[in-house]
Amino acid sequence: MTTADPLLSGSGLSKSYGGVHAVSDVSFTLHAGEVLGLIGPNGAGKTTLVDLVTGAQDADTGELVLTGSPLRGGAAHRAAQGLARTFQHPQLALDLSVADNLLLGAYAARHRGLGRLLAGLVRGILRPHAPADRALAERLATSVGISGLDRHARDLTLGEQRLVEVGRALGAEPCVLLLDEPFAGADAHGVAGTTRVIEVLRGAGHGVILVDHNVDLVTTLADRVMLMERGRVAFEGSPADCLASPEMQRVYFGTAPEEVAS
Amino acid sequence: MVGLRAGLRGMTNPQLWIAVVENGCFFALLGLAFYFNLTGAGFFNFGIGAIAMAAAFTGSWLVTEHGLSRPLAGVVGVLGAIAIAVVMELAVVRPVQARGEGELSALVAVGASLFTIIQLSGLFLGHEARSGQPFWSTAPFSVGSARVGSTVVPIVVITAALFTLSYLALQRTRLGRLTRAIGNDTDAARVLGLPINTARLLSFAAAGLIAALAGITFAGRSGVSPDNALHWTITGFLALVIGGTGTVWAPLLGGALLALANVFIPFYFGGDVLAYGLVVVAMLFFAFRPEGVFAPRVRV
Amino acid sequence: MSARLPNVAGVLGLVLLVVWAGSDLYRSSLLVTMLTYALVALGMYVPFVLAGSLSLSYSAYAATGAYAVAIGTAHAGWPLWLGMLVAPPVAAIIAVVLGAATMRLSGFYLGAVTLLFAEAFIQLLGNLGVTGGPSGIVGLPLLSFGGWEPSPQQTVLMAVVLTGVLALALDRLRRSPWGVVIRASREVPIAVDTAGVSVSVLNLVALGAGAAIASLGGALFTTYVGAVNPETFSVNVIFLAVFMPLIGGIGNPWGAVLGAAIVVHLTLNVDSLASSGTLLVSLSVLVILVLFPRGVLGFAGTAARGGTTLLTTVTKRGART
Ligand SMILES: Nc1ncnc2c1ncn2[C@@H]1O[C@H](COP(=O)(O)OP(=O)(O)OP(=O)(O)O)[C@@H](O)[C@H]1O
Ligand SMILES: [Mg+2]
Repeated sequence: MTTADPLLSGSGLSKSYGGVHAVSDVSFTLHAGEVLGLIGPNGAGKTTLVDLVTGAQDADTGELVLTGSPLRGGAAHRAAQGLARTFQHPQLALDLSVADNLLLGAYAARHRGLGRLLAGLVRGILRPHAPADRALAERLATSVGISGLDRHARDLTLGEQRLVEVGRALGAEPCVLLLDEPFAGADAHGVAGTTRVIEVLRGAGHGVILVDHNVDLVTTLADRVMLMERGRVAFEGSPADCLASPEMQRVYFGTAPEEVAS
Repeated sequence: MVGLRAGLRGMTNPQLWIAVVENGCFFALLGLAFYFNLTGAGFFNFGIGAIAMAAAFTGSWLVTEHGLSRPLAGVVGVLGAIAIAVVMELAVVRPVQARGEGELSALVAVGASLFTIIQLSGLFLGHEARSGQPFWSTAPFSVGSARVGSTVVPIVVITAALFTLSYLALQRTRLGRLTRAIGNDTDAARVLGLPINTARLLSFAAAGLIAALAGITFAGRSGVSPDNALHWTITGFLALVIGGTGTVWAPLLGGALLALANVFIPFYFGGDVLAYGLVVVAMLFFAFRPEGVFAPRVRV
Repeated sequence: MSARLPNVAGVLGLVLLVVWAGSDLYRSSLLVTMLTYALVALGMYVPFVLAGSLSLSYSAYAATGAYAVAIGTAHAGWPLWLGMLVAPPVAAIIAVVLGAATMRLSGFYLGAVTLLFAEAFIQLLGNLGVTGGPSGIVGLPLLSFGGWEPSPQQTVLMAVVLTGVLALALDRLRRSPWGVVIRASREVPIAVDTAGVSVSVLNLVALGAGAAIASLGGALFTTYVGAVNPETFSVNVIFLAVFMPLIGGIGNPWGAVLGAAIVVHLTLNVDSLASSGTLLVSLSVLVILVLFPRGVLGFAGTAARGGTTLLTTVTKRGART
């Protein structure tokens, strides 16, 4: 672990819905080249935390800092600062092809801000297709391990949809990638694809926040693990320490051991 | 001083207040029809104005061209309106909504229905405005300097009766409570095996009935032509949205506020300002309080 | 290369229409009416079909184009073509302002407000002095480019070229990266937002571009007819413009042009139909909506993602988009 300034940090983040404290007073840090695992039972607030970081939801309180400067504003603005994410419930444009969905991240990156949006409109009319884009789609597909670029996104399995989401996020060339349950419903092939992307980003000195219920995988892949329970951080530390911690025992085995066993 | 005196002249003019009452009742009834569709089917039926128009227009045509008695023409108008509403649900709205494509295609579908009803009426009954032929009117009388027209008492009575009946039907009967539950959360209701289709159909029929009674009665004052349909739709929609969807009484408030605007804005500022004012009011309401004055209670 | 087919067919169709009209004045005026509708429908194509938001102010934008030409010529002494150049930016500005004011609205709410706006706008045109009040502006001079006065036939030809070029441009735009982003924003706005393009800004751009195109329709009509009044662009125009892409097919901008041809043919050109033409149009829209959901419409169903209703409900909540 470096002592350098963190890549991304959050402090005092809170969000409640009516009376439900989905996230309360959560702080975290993510260093360059680090994978931060985020685990916790259903409703622990993992997705909400991802939403607060990416700007998909407005936080009630809290501050975020990305590479030394405050991270604020709407989701689009934050994406422009280098955040990318996937969704627990995949958000693919089902009417579009796999290639177009994969390229959406890169396409969006080219159209950030009003000026580029207007320029892109004109460029789109003059030159709708760049051969380089097809090549990029193929590269992204290879990275995550998906084929059949001209299929409709609606014909994909859930596992394939997750892979396309990961590829789409990769295409935006993020410095922080937030993955919300990329392994849910994925087979060995899907796990391998996502793992590859995580390793590539880690190797490039970027940061990854990995949310999943598959504790084995998260603790294997992550450098550090944060355990959330009812909106709060119950434990934070190395994967080995987390697995051995009494909090882990309590959260996962304390109340209903038979549920976890099954 | 002039402004003040003119202001008083308007506000103390009983004739204007009678117009407010009459307009308010009509708008409220249209809003109530919207409310039924919204609770039963979770859906704004933009066909309401066309249904009200078709009932009134057909009734007038039957009376003036075919010598039918007004009550009989009224019955035909009301039954026809219910039939249109039911056909709309079965043939258009349900199949389109069942595909779950979201609001856009449903919106286009009701738009096309509205347009179809207008065109059908125009094609078979003519495009010219007709005088209304309400099935019930009272002898006009005077209160002080103000004249109470022949349709004021009927529309007030009908409004009071329909709102009370609607309240009782939705709150006190099993089917009514079921209907509200379905409107609240159609997906959950489907999972629970509630009779969604019956409730939807009933809500469309009730909306048709209410719209028809409103249209037929109000046409006695304003006359009616196919061109009224769209405007009546928008007015009913506004009455509901401004009043709020939280209680069955809300359209009454929305209708009253709209009627105040409809009567007094033209009086003070001229008729054109009303059109501009409505855009602004609608925009403000939709943007800042889309749930209306009486918001539905949020259950967490 | 099947992507080329609609373009080839569309251009061919326009050429045939020009041949069909020839020097016949009645046919030329029908063709101009069709092109006017086609331009309004093409304008609507951008926000409606690509971005999936139904703004119903299009009669106002067409009227803006018409009055820009008429006022510029009648009051400022501009040549007609200058009005045609000024119209698109003016309409775009109006659309962006209205779009910004209604940014938080969608679906029925947006439809109602934009419809009210269109009505109020037309009413305003009927009340101002500069617009000639209810009787509008009549007796505009003929189109002239610095001395060269094109014949009516040449004017029609220019209008055909304009419409064709715009349909081609929109088709290219639809398939371009920009088009992919905006089409994705219709289905999964949250994905586009978190990828860095603000969907609200994107919608404003779409509304502005659409209004600019629609204003050309109004400008063309006024240029050809030489007059305009507030009645020219009634609410009916909006409905017909919404229906046109649906009738012609929304998979391609040429569908809007085809729809315009069909609607004008049914409503104006078939004598035996008379006033039932419009009825036929709205009925066919209903039939298309009910019977050919994917094929003609292609609105992607989010609920069609598979799984039971319960699953959809639960996951929808989970996604909180
Ligand atoms: N939009 C919302 N409205 C109301 N409550 C919400 C909303 N979103 C989340 N919640 C609540 O906030 C809490 C945290 O939810 P969140 O989805 O963040 O949990 P999670 O850890 O991602 O769970 P899971 O593992 O099931 O995905 C839950 O109790 C949830 O019901
Ligand atoms: Mg989650």
